[in-house]
Amino acid sequence: MSPASSRAGGKSAARLAVKDLQHKYGDRPVIEGLTFTLAAGQAIALVGPNGAGKTTVLKCIVGSAEPAAGKILLDGLPIDERVEVVRRDVATLLDDLDFFPDLTAAEHLDLLARAHGNAAPEDLVDTILDDIGLLPAADQLPGSLSSGQRRRLALATALVRPRKLMVLDEPEARLDTDGVRWLSDRLVAEKKSGTSILFASHDPALVEAVADSVVTLTPLP
Amino acid sequence: MSSEGPVVFDPADFGAIPSSRSLRQWMRTTRRRHADRSFWQIFEDVYLVVFTLAMVGATGGNVVHHLNSSAARCTSSTCGELTLWMPWIVVPLLLATTIRMLLAVGPVSASRATGFWLLATPVNRAALLRPTYRLVVAVVAVTGFVVAGIVWALLGTVWIGFLEAAVLIAALLVCAGIATVWAQQSARRSRWTLRIADLLLIAAVVPAVVLALRPDPLRGAQIANVVVTGFDTNLVDEYDHAVAARLMFTSVETHFLLLAAVVVILAVALVVVTSQTLDKLSRNSVIAGGELLAGLAGAASSLDISMLGDVIAGRHWRMKGRVRSHRGRGSRGGAIVHREFRRVLRWPRRLIIGFALLVVPYAVSGAGFGALVPVAAGFAGFIAVRPMLDGLRSVCRSTGLTRALGMDLRELRVIMAVVPGFFAALWTGLASPAIGSGAATFAVAAGILSGAVRQASARPPSYAGPLVASPMGAIPPGLFSQPARGFDLLLVCMAPVLLNLSGTWVVAIPAVILAVMFSIRPKTD
Repeated sequence: MSPASSRAGGKSAARLAVKDLQHKYGDRPVIEGLTFTLAAGQAIALVGPNGAGKTTVLKCIVGSAEPAAGKILLDGLPIDERVEVVRRDVATLLDDLDFFPDLTAAEHLDLLARAHGNAAPEDLVDTILDDIGLLPAADQLPGSLSSGQRRRLALATALVRPRKLMVLDEPEARLDTDGVRWLSDRLVAEKKSGTSILFASHDPALVEAVADSVVTLTPLP
Repeated sequence: MSSEGPVVFDPADFGAIPSSRSLRQWMRTTRRRHADRSFWQIFEDVYLVVFTLAMVGATGGNVVHHLNSSAARCTSSTCGELTLWMPWIVVPLLLATTIRMLLAVGPVSASRATGFWLLATPVNRAALLRPTYRLVVAVVAVTGFVVAGIVWALLGTVWIGFLEAAVLIAALLVCAGIATVWAQQSARRSRWTLRIADLLLIAAVVPAVVLALRPDPLRGAQIANVVVTGFDTNLVDEYDHAVAARLMFTSVETHFLLLAAVVVILAVALVVVTSQTLDKLSRNSVIAGGELLAGLAGAASSLDISMLGDVIAGRHWRMKGRVRSHRGRGSRGGAIVHREFRRVLRWPRRLIIGFALLVVPYAVSGAGFGALVPVAAGFAGFIAVRPMLDGLRSVCRSTGLTRALGMDLRELRVIMAVVPGFFAALWTGLASPAIGSGAATFAVAAGILSGAVRQASARPPSYAGPLVASPMGAIPPGLFSQPARGFDLLLVCMAPVLLNLSGTWVVAIPAVILAVMFSIRPKTD
């Protein structure tokens, strides 16, 4: 990515700071010298064509890929998913989601809320399922959910837990028009509550509605 | 979807992070509510498995016991040489295999679901992973104990001797297993550990090569044993090798016991210390192994050896990610042969291992088991050649790919067997001095090629067609013959050699098999 192509917010008290990030697949560089900062309550959208490295940037940030060089700081400290605080504060939605085949949609969210310290999450889970339009499917096992419902359940995972930073890869994927509108409203609400959002998207309307800044990635030769 | 819901995070909802134990307990309770099988149904299945294991264990134990008695009575110099040399081949080989296999699957692994719903939460990761870690240690210890026990029993060692050897090697393998858990914590450590595994593999090949060349194998083993155990077999009549070997084992019992005790203590200490560092494992490294294990379990459930290889090869190429493209040459069949040749060169480790396996027939010959050389050469050659048929396997399992290549599958099978066929001929040619006659060499080469081609082009068991009732439930016909595919032709080709038939039969039978093999069209779904 050419550094000149990014126009991102740069407050001093950055929640997330990415400095000179580089990543390679073998010898081929995918990302070079990417720098941006994301403040609390702000959203940055990563845009660009397929193969530009959007998902790779997100993977580096959540620790699923190892950068070749550069720094990624969360609240001033190097981000490392092995650290408990990072796992508590960063809600992610990448393509690594899978389900336990024998737990229902509601039980999955229940489990996640409990794992984050909510000892009685039933009401919260029901509210979120209702909010996301999955209440009728609450008792369904993952195998019987449609791909759109699975996607909504995946989005719900980011809402049922505490979060300071949300890292979302194409959150609008497989959602219908109403769903994308709902998503847009939710992300704006998240920003207002102080959550920072970094998301990759191919939807200009969503980017326009949610993002305070845009980082444009272009495929490297 | 509503846009009025309380999506916004309320800190008051969240308190202390629960323990891994309480979370697992919650999952158990929740799952129990969905249980669709009664206790007795589960008990019946468990009973069946335990009964089967007991039967197999008893039969296997009996066979090993008989072989142990026979080996103990053997006083030939060949037996003595084997007794002295085998530990130097087996121990590094076991260590290298353990390290490689464990690093391939993690060794600490978890499913993608566990990775997302549990490991990505602030719950103590070390505590979440500890049950898997304990399972890995237990599996390594039990496997090491059983394998080492069997090897030493087959060498004719008295029961206390092979018990000590089994304990020592199980503890050594546990140490190696712990090293892989430590290595899993960073890519750099993994690379170094893999290099050590390669060195161990070379260390296992060296005595096999020495045994194969036989300058004075007993003397070499004596030197190695003196270095490790302090016992000099030269003190014994050098012509009574078997007695010397047994005497050595008896005399070094104290050394062995002491060594075993030290290694067991070391292993236990390492297990305890490393269990505290499991939180340093990245979610990625843990899930990668889980995915591989899930693939391997799927392949194992259909008893499909080729599919096991596919899963491992698939992972290898996914991790590799990118290689340099080479333009093709020629057209039609020639282009495919060229592409296959380039593809084989793309994974040089397989070629190196393939050629390294040449030591097997020579070592067997060097150890004095001349009658077993063709069988050993056949199986070693099969292992060397079979990975080169991955291209044929892809084509046979993908009707779309066959259509895209625009040729008949029978024709494709012949074309794609050219490069492996050339390698099989080269391999057996190099093994020929150990195998003996030219006719036997041809039989082995034909067996390797026809067996490998048959295995690579075999259809996977299909659950879509008619099924056969069995105590395990409905299974596709031919499921249990699946693992034997390929090896059957290998044995048929080598049968004339093993039965000591005339040279004409030794050449004719494999030639007919090859001709039939390549003239019929493989079945597809």
